[in-house]
Amino acid sequence: MSAMAAAPPAGLPTPEHGMSKGRKALLSLVGVWIGGVVVFIILFGFKSHKAPAVVSGVFSPTDEFKLDTWFKLGPVAFNKGVLYLLITVAITIGLMAYIARRLKQRPGRLQVAVEMFYNFTRGMSKENLDNDMQRKYFPLIATIFVFILVSNLIGYIPLPVDSGETFKLFGASIPSFQIYAADTNVAFPLILALGVFVLFTYEGVRHHGPIGYVKSLMPGGIKGPIVGLIFPIEILSNFLRLVSLTVRLWANLLAGHMLIAFMGGELGVLVGDQWVQWLLLPFGVAIYLFEAVLIAGLQAFIFAILTAIYLGGAVESH
Amino acid sequence: MLPATTVPLASSGSFLISPNVGLMIWTIVVFLISLFILRKWVFPLIGEALDKRAETIAGDIDAAAALRKDSEKLLAEYRERLHEARGQADEIVKRARTTADAHEQEARTHAQELTAEGKARAEREIAEATRRALAEIRDEVAKLTILAAEKVTRKSLDESDQRRLVEEALGELDFSAIASTAPTDAANN
Repeated sequence: MSAMAAAPPAGLPTPEHGMSKGRKALLSLVGVWIGGVVVFIILFGFKSHKAPAVVSGVFSPTDEFKLDTWFKLGPVAFNKGVLYLLITVAITIGLMAYIARRLKQRPGRLQVAVEMFYNFTRGMSKENLDNDMQRKYFPLIATIFVFILVSNLIGYIPLPVDSGETFKLFGASIPSFQIYAADTNVAFPLILALGVFVLFTYEGVRHHGPIGYVKSLMPGGIKGPIVGLIFPIEILSNFLRLVSLTVRLWANLLAGHMLIAFMGGELGVLVGDQWVQWLLLPFGVAIYLFEAVLIAGLQAFIFAILTAIYLGGAVESH
Repeated sequence: MLPATTVPLASSGSFLISPNVGLMIWTIVVFLISLFILRKWVFPLIGEALDKRAETIAGDIDAAAALRKDSEKLLAEYRERLHEARGQADEIVKRARTTADAHEQEARTHAQELTAEGKARAEREIAEATRRALAEIRDEVAKLTILAAEKVTRKSLDESDQRRLVEEALGELDFSAIASTAPTDAANN
């Protein structure tokens, strides 16, 4: 009788006492976080202990984005940016060629992902370009997309590439780990944007003729003296596409990497407080995830779709 | 006098916004190589595979639709046949029942006829037997009558006397009672 009363009825969940598991885990994390701040304050105190390099101004947090030449082959200089470009092209071509050589009627996960990417990009091109243009420029748009995407994504993998700072391992000087991306240097997006700008201008001139293209930049239905006012603005905005295309990608990536670095400890180094490093760490992790999961793909997509839109707009008749 | 230049003021950050020309060249070269390879060898293969699969799927869908149409037709046909067969079966059962009923009726009638006939025959035979018995009794009575008369009178009677005696004796006997009861007793037995 007592045994029966003690055993909970089978199939029924045991009643929960208090909080759910997730809530408990979250609260313990918050506890560890706040406790850590207290521990750091007890261990190192509130007073700042700036590193000598910080006090003297030798240390600069932006130095990790500097492109020091590692070595030269004739006129060709190798640096961190070049390494990232080579990794990017190796992964881009390697992955795509690997998939293309093993295409199956019943695709695996990777093939499905690549096919989805392909279909998505093809749809994007078809929406913005007519048939001829689409056939001509789909490879360019898709390559831009995948190239920037891969470049952005490998930018969130910490690699030992910070030649400005080193650490010793078994007596060897090894460059510090950092997260870097080739597109944190304005050169990367600028040259791609320039390429796109040249292409859509070329297509516009080819389609409308030189005078016609310049005229096509004007919105339809504007007549009279106001043309004199609108026209320079339109010309300017056309050139500003080059700037916006460049700056959007570059600034997003650079600012993202800097924010992660700052929140991940650099700010604490600069102010000289250890507890600040611990305090900001969760924000560093959050920003890292936000950048790697959302921004990397989003910026690649925006660059690709703007390329399609600009190319389509250039040959469109008002 | 020189601190501004001796301290490596990278913190001025000018390198952050000035594009590295070498990297620009690297970028465009590497990008064009990627574009060339992907355009020539990768994208066509993927596009072809996707088109092929789309075709296969379209073919499969068409085939499935045709198959479905066929099977629906077949099903309708079978249903019709089944319906027909059921109708035929019903008809056969109905006919069999009618035949059986008819046979039953016939058998019953036949039996009744046979019974009636048997009864009639039996009655006839009884009547015949009764008649024969009566005749025999009559003969016996006649003989006994003659014998009795000869014993009483001590002389033999001539033929006319005999006839007259028998006629008189038989006239006095009532056979009708025997004749009317005998056949019914035989039928009851």
